[in-house]
Amino acid sequence: MTNKTEDIDIKLIKHIQEGLPVTKTPYKDIGLALGMPEDEVIQRLKNLLESGKVRRLAASIAHRKIGINANAMCVWKVPKERVDEVGKIMAGFEEVTHCYERPIYADWEYNVFTMIHGYTDAECEAVIQAIKEKTGLNDYVVLYSEKEFKKVVVRI
Amino acid sequence: MILSDTDRKILHRLQSNLPLVSRPFLELSKELDLDEDIIIERIKFMIEKGYVRRLAPIINTQAMGREATLAAVKVPEDRIDEVSAIINEYSGVSHNYLRKGKNKHIPYNMWFTMSAKDDEELRSRLKEIEDRTGLTVRSLPTTKKFKIGVRFKIY
Repeated sequence: MTNKTEDIDIKLIKHIQEGLPVTKTPYKDIGLALGMPEDEVIQRLKNLLESGKVRRLAASIAHRKIGINANAMCVWKVPKERVDEVGKIMAGFEEVTHCYERPIYADWEYNVFTMIHGYTDAECEAVIQAIKEKTGLNDYVVLYSEKEFKKVVVRI
Repeated sequence: MILSDTDRKILHRLQSNLPLVSRPFLELSKELDLDEDIIIERIKFMIEKGYVRRLAPIINTQAMGREATLAAVKVPEDRIDEVSAIINEYSGVSHNYLRKGKNKHIPYNMWFTMSAKDDEELRSRLKEIEDRTGLTVRSLPTTKKFKIGVRFKIY
């Protein structure tokens, strides 16, 4: 098995990336549209999930609309040798939805990025305080989003 | 807020994988102790009203062979609309936000994510944005992932 994504998988993803049919038999309906048996649709989606090419087959929620109005991108200056240890601690918080290490530059020394989502700013702040206490880290910046210019799902 | 407890229960479950069986909503109906028809009707309602952006595959761009990065730019206040419009033209841009440091000043204010079919395309698009705006685009690609899973606590 090569890593190359088959054209037919690409065709399948392109067909459903705007949304699966919300019907009793969505996979059968996808198959009908693409001329593919239902079993093949299911098997291909299983393989895409197992290979990690598709992270999830799930709902993307308009979080602001359901009241999760606060988000904070919090960036941390973490010594290289502590990145693995603190990355795991940060990822352990339910409100931390993303946690990544990224490169540093002369004018940018914050290497660990956490995205925090909460119902209120206070909830986000409390998570940041808890991370500080658990890791002993003190050099961080909270980046609040002032304006959203674009937010769409990643398409292929 | 017009979501019922039933809606919230469905919404919470929908953030994890939809079962890969012939009747996935029937499967959910057993898990959630709700009627299949109700589940389908409520999901349609939540999509129509915009609570659910979409029920679809969440693609791992890198595993699909694509390259992605988080980019940051220092945009002068009076050019924010112009520059954000240029950045948003690119289909590979999925997020673009104006951000401000709360406790400390940061050198960049516009933050966007971009993916492209490979590293070469990614670099050339970022370069193109630099050329078109005359601004420096700082690329901060992920070097290590500890968590990626936007699932929210739904009360």
